[in-house]
Amino acid sequence: MTRRNAIAVLALAGVFLSTYLALYKLGFIGSLACGSGDCERVQASRWATFLGQPVAVWGVAFYLAMFGTSLAGSFQALAPSRAVSVALVLVSAWGVLFSGWLTWLEVAEIHAICRFCVVSALLVLVLFVLSVRELRTLEPPPRSGQ
Amino acid sequence: MAKVSVQKKDNKPFIGLLVLVAVLGVAVLGYTLTRPGARALTVDPAVPAGTAEGYLIGNANAPVQVIEFGDFECPGCGSFANVTEPDIRARLVNTGTVAFRYFDFPLSQHKNSWTAHTAASCAADQGKFWEMHDRLYAEQDKWNMEATSNPVSVFRRYATDLGLDLAKWDACLATQPHTARIKANAAEGTRRKIGGTPTFIIGDQMVPSGPLAYDAFKRYVDEALVKAPPRDSGAPPAARPSVKKAATQ
Repeated sequence: MTRRNAIAVLALAGVFLSTYLALYKLGFIGSLACGSGDCERVQASRWATFLGQPVAVWGVAFYLAMFGTSLAGSFQALAPSRAVSVALVLVSAWGVLFSGWLTWLEVAEIHAICRFCVVSALLVLVLFVLSVRELRTLEPPPRSGQ
Repeated sequence: MAKVSVQKKDNKPFIGLLVLVAVLGVAVLGYTLTRPGARALTVDPAVPAGTAEGYLIGNANAPVQVIEFGDFECPGCGSFANVTEPDIRARLVNTGTVAFRYFDFPLSQHKNSWTAHTAASCAADQGKFWEMHDRLYAEQDKWNMEATSNPVSVFRRYATDLGLDLAKWDACLATQPHTARIKANAAEGTRRKIGGTPTFIIGDQMVPSGPLAYDAFKRYVDEALVKAPPRDSGAPPAARPSVKKAATQ
């Protein structure tokens, strides 16, 4: 199994994880009630929404992007594509920055740690590491004039 | 051309893992979406209540004792108060079957909740806790943290509408003499391992937080009634769950 395969599998798991959180935030999962747990505190905080959408929905979009890109890059036709690897690094780097910011908010502002968010942050970090290592296995294209 | 690191390999493990993750993910989400609602837990009715004091509506000696741990800013509590509770009061409380006590359980994520609980406790000083309770829940969207960062002005209007002595109510809100009671009520909920609001204790059963329609509530009351001794036996009410110092409004 290649690194892109591994990225696809982990990203798919992330799709389900963030979908669960998005469904919770949107009221489709869980009862109409207010929990006293840390995840509820995080989800009820004002930082649980970004640009008008729940953060978990952005998470679904992120993981879908990672999954789609890595899956496409797993096909033989795109296997040698450096562009796919660069895209994976860029998207996962954004994910690391965003997750890092969210984790900082949990610690410094919300004062509550949601275990699902921690799992997602670790998942994003692993995806980034895999993406960087994948990119480094592909040599850059030869420069013109050399 | 770039050196190809991805070589043609057997894709079966990859596809197998993808299918496994997909099946697990769909199964977990499907279960979560379709699982049944709140289930009751049996609690020890002998657990002492400490110094917490709930707000009572109904006959204190009714055969079935009910406790609600509620948060004024919680939408679920608002839904219960506005949709289900009127039926409960009309059919169970006013008929002498149920004594209903409200315990404060303000959640920290609701920024205006503590102020609302203080406003209600100050209304209780003038015998109008339940009137303020009903108004707070009925117009929750007008004072919650999404609506305003200054809920006191809204609560003051409610106090005026309810005919409270505003000078006394203002003084109460300023000095907050009921802070200890609200904290004690919340601590009582924590001690009982309340996981969210609204949570109900009906007789000897704790119903975890979640929507509770009248029919479901009535079933719990009927079960508690079965366990209660005959009302003319002179015995203390059964299924009176550990509320020894509940205040009467």
